[in-house]
Amino acid sequence: MLPESKIDSSEYTDLNRVIGWFITLRWIAFLGVVVTLLIVNFLLNYVLPYSILYILTSVLFLINSFFTYYYAVVKQKNLLRKEMSVFFHVQVCTDYLLLFLLIYFTGFLENPFCYYFVFHIMLTSFIFPASVVFIYVTILVVVFIGVAFAEYLQLLPHFALKVARISPGLYEDLVIIRVVGLCSTIIISAYLITSIKNRIVERGKRVEVELNRYKSLDKIKSNFILQVTHELRGPLAALKGYHEMIMKGITGEIPEKTRDTLKKANQRTSNLLTMIDEMIDFAYMRSEEEVEYTKTELNIKEALDYNINQVGAFSRQKGIRFIPSCPRELKIWSNRDLLNIILNNLFTNSIKYSPPDTKVLINAIDNGKEVELTVKDEGYGIEPEELDKVFEEFYRTRKAREVEKDGTGLGLPIVKRAVESLGGKITVYSEINRGTSFHITLPKDK
Amino acid sequence: MAKKKVLIIDDDQDILETTGALLGYEGFEVYSADTVEEGMKMIDEVEPDIILLDIMFPEKKTRGFDAASEIKAKHPHLPILALTAINREYAFDFAKEDIQAEEFINKPVETERLIELINKYV
Repeated sequence: MLPESKIDSSEYTDLNRVIGWFITLRWIAFLGVVVTLLIVNFLLNYVLPYSILYILTSVLFLINSFFTYYYAVVKQKNLLRKEMSVFFHVQVCTDYLLLFLLIYFTGFLENPFCYYFVFHIMLTSFIFPASVVFIYVTILVVVFIGVAFAEYLQLLPHFALKVARISPGLYEDLVIIRVVGLCSTIIISAYLITSIKNRIVERGKRVEVELNRYKSLDKIKSNFILQVTHELRGPLAALKGYHEMIMKGITGEIPEKTRDTLKKANQRTSNLLTMIDEMIDFAYMRSEEEVEYTKTELNIKEALDYNINQVGAFSRQKGIRFIPSCPRELKIWSNRDLLNIILNNLFTNSIKYSPPDTKVLINAIDNGKEVELTVKDEGYGIEPEELDKVFEEFYRTRKAREVEKDGTGLGLPIVKRAVESLGGKITVYSEINRGTSFHITLPKDK
Repeated sequence: MAKKKVLIIDDDQDILETTGALLGYEGFEVYSADTVEEGMKMIDEVEPDIILLDIMFPEKKTRGFDAASEIKAKHPHLPILALTAINREYAFDFAKEDIQAEEFINKPVETERLIELINKYV
């Protein structure tokens, strides 16, 4: 299970970095504009409205200084999600506007640098969803066409890109500016596309790292639970050992009353042990949720007998008789542990929640693709309104709490998980004071 | 008939005491060691018929795992019952191939079952 917000937050860190990248790119652009203007102004002698152009460049300088200050100093390179979105829009609008004005005053459609808008579109597409990009692009296209028409109809003045003195050679036909415009467009395109690509790859890697971190955290957590429960079994083992020593009279004769008391203590210790085991199973199944369980060919009859035998002491004590009915040769490809967990839990429940001297009928049949298994007791039953809750973690029915004080409420959830991990299904039917019946289907083949 | 000699190697003193007392009560000759090193020494000294080995030693998780191999290397015919507090095969499948023991038993083990297993191998 992966907390979504975490993946989000990595994307968020990404976007914060992108802001820094944008600001750096803008500084480079500023330098480019200054150098180009100086060259065009003093070396190539283009006739342009330089005062306006220098003012625009100064505005670019001031705005980016402000952005830099806001991003690095005020926000410490860490903007809130909402601020970030607003900041991106402010940046994009400013860039579009400034670039547009610079292009407009330097020949507009004549200017080969007007293709620099492509870079802005790339960057806009990188950070915004398609709908937002569409809006920006539409506005841009409308403005372009509008201004072109306005120039054509002489509603707006056209600032032509031309050289002051008519001199022979290269300068005349704007070759330099066109070559520089084309080459820089090619180079910048390559740079932008590759760095956007790298950023996407990097983002993917970060998400992967984060995923792995979560996976390993989950593993550590379940190892921890396994370790803890394991540590709990140790002392209980010793406790049971001491009980047994006293009961057997190894430590000296004990009065009958003490023996009874000790029996009770021992019973509670056993309950505690069962609960710990359930928690171990639960922790294990949670941790191994996506693991393929190794399957081997198992004989159902043997598995039933083994588990009936496992609960033998408990069932004899209550006079509960298990009556299995199963074809001797019925085999299944399954995981031994999970099958044992399923059977053991169901059998223990049948004993626990049945009155003394009753029967538990176990029926296993082969329906071709699946094995159908029914465990039916003559127990106290489950109230209809509680029936769909018995598979919920930690839920214990009223009757269960009444009959058996100790319990984790994890038994049936574990069974359900185990059945599902094996690709099967479990259903329950119950009638108050008539008994409960669990019906399980498990796939037979690999 | 001579008493069967059982050596218990476990770092839990209480387990040594209780299992020792219970098996002693049932007529076994019980020796105990609370470290693997001591256990190795005692194998030479008392020549046990069977070993109960806790395979989860805290100082080094795998210590008990290695100990089984160590013992088997020197005494290939000495049966080992590996004791663990983890009671599910799944938690253990990974280790079973590496641990050379005749049986794996979960703590707490019923004394009757323990006797049954000892008698099976000795």
